[in-house]
Amino acid sequence: MNRDSASFLKEEYMELVKNGFDWKLRVLETGSTPHSIVEGKEVIMLCSNNYLNLSNHPRLIKGAIDAAKKYGAGSGSVRAIAGTLKIHIAVEKRLARFKRTEASLIYQTGFAANAGLIPQLVDKGDVIISDELNHGSIIDGVRLTKADRAVYKHRDMSELEKVLMDADKKYRRILIITDGVFSMDGDIAPMDKIVKLAGEYGAMTYVDDAHGEGVIGPDGRGIGAHFGIEGKIDVEMGTFSKAYGVVGGLIAGSQDLVNFAYNKSRTWLLSGSHPPAVAGAQLAAIDVLETEPQHVKNLWDNTKYFKKELRSLGFDTGQSETPITPVIVGESNKAKELSSRLFDDGVFALPIVFPMVARDKARIRTMMNAGLTKKDLDSALEKFEKHGKKLKII
Amino acid sequence: MSSKIGFIVNPIAGMGGKVGLKGTDGVLEEALKLGAKPIASGKAEEMLREYLYNYSTRDEIKWFTCLDEMGADELKNAGIKKMEIVYMYADRYTSSEDTKKACKKFLENHVDLILFCGGDGTARDIFEVIGKDIPILGIPSGVKMHSGVFGINTHATAKMLHEFVNHTLTIGDAEIMDLDEDLYRQDRWSIRLFGVAAGIVEPTYVQVGKTVYESVSDNEIKDELTEHVSFEIEKNSDFLFLFGPGGTIDYIARMMDFDNTLLGIDAVYDNKLIGKDLNEEGILKLLDRYPKAKIILSPIGAQGFILGRGNLQLSPRIIKRVGLDNIIIVSTPSKLASTPVLRVDTGDKELDRMFAEKESMMVVVGYRLSRVVKIQTNNF
Repeated sequence: MNRDSASFLKEEYMELVKNGFDWKLRVLETGSTPHSIVEGKEVIMLCSNNYLNLSNHPRLIKGAIDAAKKYGAGSGSVRAIAGTLKIHIAVEKRLARFKRTEASLIYQTGFAANAGLIPQLVDKGDVIISDELNHGSIIDGVRLTKADRAVYKHRDMSELEKVLMDADKKYRRILIITDGVFSMDGDIAPMDKIVKLAGEYGAMTYVDDAHGEGVIGPDGRGIGAHFGIEGKIDVEMGTFSKAYGVVGGLIAGSQDLVNFAYNKSRTWLLSGSHPPAVAGAQLAAIDVLETEPQHVKNLWDNTKYFKKELRSLGFDTGQSETPITPVIVGESNKAKELSSRLFDDGVFALPIVFPMVARDKARIRTMMNAGLTKKDLDSALEKFEKHGKKLKII
Repeated sequence: MSSKIGFIVNPIAGMGGKVGLKGTDGVLEEALKLGAKPIASGKAEEMLREYLYNYSTRDEIKWFTCLDEMGADELKNAGIKKMEIVYMYADRYTSSEDTKKACKKFLENHVDLILFCGGDGTARDIFEVIGKDIPILGIPSGVKMHSGVFGINTHATAKMLHEFVNHTLTIGDAEIMDLDEDLYRQDRWSIRLFGVAAGIVEPTYVQVGKTVYESVSDNEIKDELTEHVSFEIEKNSDFLFLFGPGGTIDYIARMMDFDNTLLGIDAVYDNKLIGKDLNEEGILKLLDRYPKAKIILSPIGAQGFILGRGNLQLSPRIIKRVGLDNIIIVSTPSKLASTPVLRVDTGDKELDRMFAEKESMMVVVGYRLSRVVKIQTNNF
């Protein structure tokens, strides 16, 4: 058949452009710093995940350089064959110690952890029980399984119990999956209650703590530490790409989990391992978290101040309990307009609109950075106030 | 591009309610004697004012309507001056015939949506002429409002109109339900399912990029539900499957090549349709032969009833014999968005209590995907 085999590439892209859904990549001329230069413009950064500003920390940079000097630029292989370097093992040991779990495993990315591990944990005749607001990478991991799926209302424990009661009769294995910190609202899954319910019904627990690692719990040790239930969550999954300031996915739990995971996760088995520089920076990030508590403290001080001031200006900041603070403005167009005005005025924060959030809950999502000063925050707040008033949001 | 809206008011709708009549169908004189006052015009104007106040500056609507109190007066009173009157009634009191004739005019004018003010009777009259050709949106004003075409109040209806005009809402199934006159003449109050119209519903979205979502049509979801049901039938090959009424289940059955009925209860065994439009007796006979059975139901109408409205053939005796655990509920997410609870009113206290004690049921909303939905029973 005579067909124009690749014409859809342009057509579908143009459709995205027409509807304003294409990503216009904004190029940073600096690194991801609290004051970044984005396309020639200096902005206060309120939309990076570099919560602790560790990506710029001298010890992480040194860790990367030293590892590259010692082990080279690349690892040469997948982990399973010849790509496991001593430094990879060192990171996993240190991470398990930091997370107070028996063992840990580093994946290439957080997405690779979810997409690689979840499909191995359940099969036909099993069920995955999922919070309705879970992240896209969990959803993709779940799509790769043959298990049934049941969804419960966001953070609603009585609904979760209802699903468990129903599932208890019907299935072999039950796996409960939830985000730890939800990225749209900045609220936290009640992990203590989830673990308790899971215990009652013989279910496994899996938490994607991408936005909680390095942020919540003592020393930023994540959601297990936050609720004082370290080692009781079957799979604590997270990432080095956010607060840790580097890149890479992680899981922490029992040695059995880790042995199972690296033998079965296809994403882990079929991707090259991290370059030594990445592992060196990861190791240094854990070092910094263990020895320099000021970064987590600064992050929370900034968060509390910023939230309090936003509220006193009259903004609706939703249910957030973390450094993700949504500034809810209502209609999608208003959120887009506010974001664009803020950017022109030197504040970089992205709009989140329907259908990512409810139609009347469009927002600017701000993500705090430990490296911002009170002066920076006051300047950002002043701009929020100015444009919030002009757009009749406050 | 502007939207063409056909606007019709049934001026006598709702008049029976305050004087204790079950609707105004055929009893207008009696209602008037009892002191009934017209309410539909007021409701229609209220909704139009809400609409104009909140949304009109951005929407472009071309209005098609009927003479005087059948639409034109309400539009004018609310402040809409530009309209095309496409139907004029002749008698002093309008009747269901007027509604039907007006709808024919709307069809001729190719309107995009019929916005009406009335109750179940009005919805039924419109549906008889329009079928599924044009979506219907109702401003609630009647005595009976079981059909799935109504907004929950004037405010919600105004918002739905705005969202329809701006293409943020889509078209989905809406059951037309009304009092069963035959049973009513025998002094029995029963709501029957008359058909499935096109209503306007919240689309279902799936994330396809990081921030890009695509809306999934109701039929795509129904395809997933079909896969799910086929799988259940395959897995439970020694079970009798009773297919309930309504658009969702009808679609599933048709996709599985069963020549079933839209409004009745049909039975499938061993992948063959073995009973069609069954009554209680017929179902009980089948259950004697096939004691293991499952019932597939979907919420119907404006209130989300799964039992007790539109499917009385599924009597308490049948439900008890099949067992609550063998009820499979399927629904499109858009349907659940408008009816977030499942209602049960079987007429049997003990059975209603059994449902009440469950508090919620799992509803299948996609292939191998289910969610918890609360149950509400009338008596508990």
